Amino acid sequence: MTNQWKLKEIVLMSILGVVFGIIYLAFFLVGQVIQNILAPFGLAPFGYEIIFGIWFIVSIVAAYILRKPGVAFTAEVIAGITEVLLGTTAGPGLILSAAVQGAGAELAFALTKWKDYRLRVLIFSGMSAALISFVWHLFYAGNITLTPWLLVATLVVRVISGALLAGVLGKWISDQLAKTDVLRGYALGKELQKRRETGAA
Amino acid sequence: MISSINPSIKAIAVLIPGILLSFTFDVFTPLSYFIFILFVTFTMGDISVIKWLKFFSPFFLVALSFAWMTILYTNQTFSYGEVMFTLWRFEITTGSILTGTSLALRSLCFVALSLLFALTTDSTKFMLSLMQQCKVPPKITYGILAGYRFLPLFQQELQILRQAHRIRGVGRTKGLKGKINQFRRYAIPLLANGIRKAERVAIAMESKGFTGDTDRTHYHQMTIEKKDWIFFSFIVGGFIIIVVFSYNLGYLNIFGKKV
Repeated sequence: MTNQWKLKEIVLMSILGVVFGIIYLAFFLVGQVIQNILAPFGLAPFGYEIIFGIWFIVSIVAAYILRKPGVAFTAEVIAGITEVLLGTTAGPGLILSAAVQGAGAELAFALTKWKDYRLRVLIFSGMSAALISFVWHLFYAGNITLTPWLLVATLVVRVISGALLAGVLGKWISDQLAKTDVLRGYALGKELQKRRETGAA
Repeated sequence: MISSINPSIKAIAVLIPGILLSFTFDVFTPLSYFIFILFVTFTMGDISVIKWLKFFSPFFLVALSFAWMTILYTNQTFSYGEVMFTLWRFEITTGSILTGTSLALRSLCFVALSLLFALTTDSTKFMLSLMQQCKVPPKITYGILAGYRFLPLFQQELQILRQAHRIRGVGRTKGLKGKINQFRRYAIPLLANGIRKAERVAIAMESKGFTGDTDRTHYHQMTIEKKDWIFFSFIVGGFIIIVVFSYNLGYLNIFGKKV
């Protein structure tokens, strides 16, 4: 798998991992703040679920830019490793969670045989990452002890969050980046170039 | 002393009890293991208590709020026992309190294990060990290390961006739309510059002969010694002994079922 990747693509994933790794860490604080705001309304369990999609975004951005099998999974794992390297409180357990989320995001691209990168597939990828990570948290965080109605409600919120914050926002950021022409050497930039040429002709 | 343990072995040693703890839903097992990790951290870790507390205390609050949430919303399997008291429309049973406490202690165990790893491990050595012991391809290892080194550059670049905005009179904006615009003004140039650098570094590495070949020599040899396995069996063995104790004392509870 890695033999198909160029070194610059791996360094790109790593750079994305560094940038989004910082954003990921910052969003733990954001989640805590939202949780505190929602707590008086008895909605504290939804605090993190609303923004959960942000933790899948690097999979969608990397897969959309590079368009190769395994990218969604690896990019998320790399982001997890960078979070550990940043020397904060994140331990090896975080890499494991990242691998689960990455596998969830990869699932959607695998189902389309890594050929289709339209918005709907990106949204679907964010949703599948949300679903798989939800199952993982049932077990790892002990969410299995919660009442069924709450579990269903949090799942719905997380899937919507995955669709919007990972799928839609991920595509938007990548498209904005492609416009700056720095992605010319990668699949997304090449596609944009091709579209411009046919548009001009 | 723990800082000299091979990072890969340390990571696996910390992961295994973490995963196994996810099966237990009683109070005794995570509590005793938490005490065990504290003992390991402060007797063998060379970690200063104040530094440790600084990292740990926020998570203590998070664990408390998490426990409280679980107590309020436990399902039937876990809300066994008598109703202790009623709070507004929530009936709090002994079972839900025990489950909530257990989950909170479990997450404190996760944090303590993570800190035991994070505060005693050198980032570069961790990556080198992942490459030499866990056979992560050199392309990925050095790719990550190269990207990770850009972190200070990002801070510098953010400052430059901010100054560039200020000198051109682009101030802070109000409202949600302004905030989104502001986010784009910072995030896109930062990422774009990062990608440019990624490309340059990759070309530089390859032009200096980096092929990503797995058959290569290493300047820093990471090895696994006897003391690494002793550490591994100590951390994992400690967990197994506590589970056996908890079973014999009749506390052990796996997925809501007493065993």
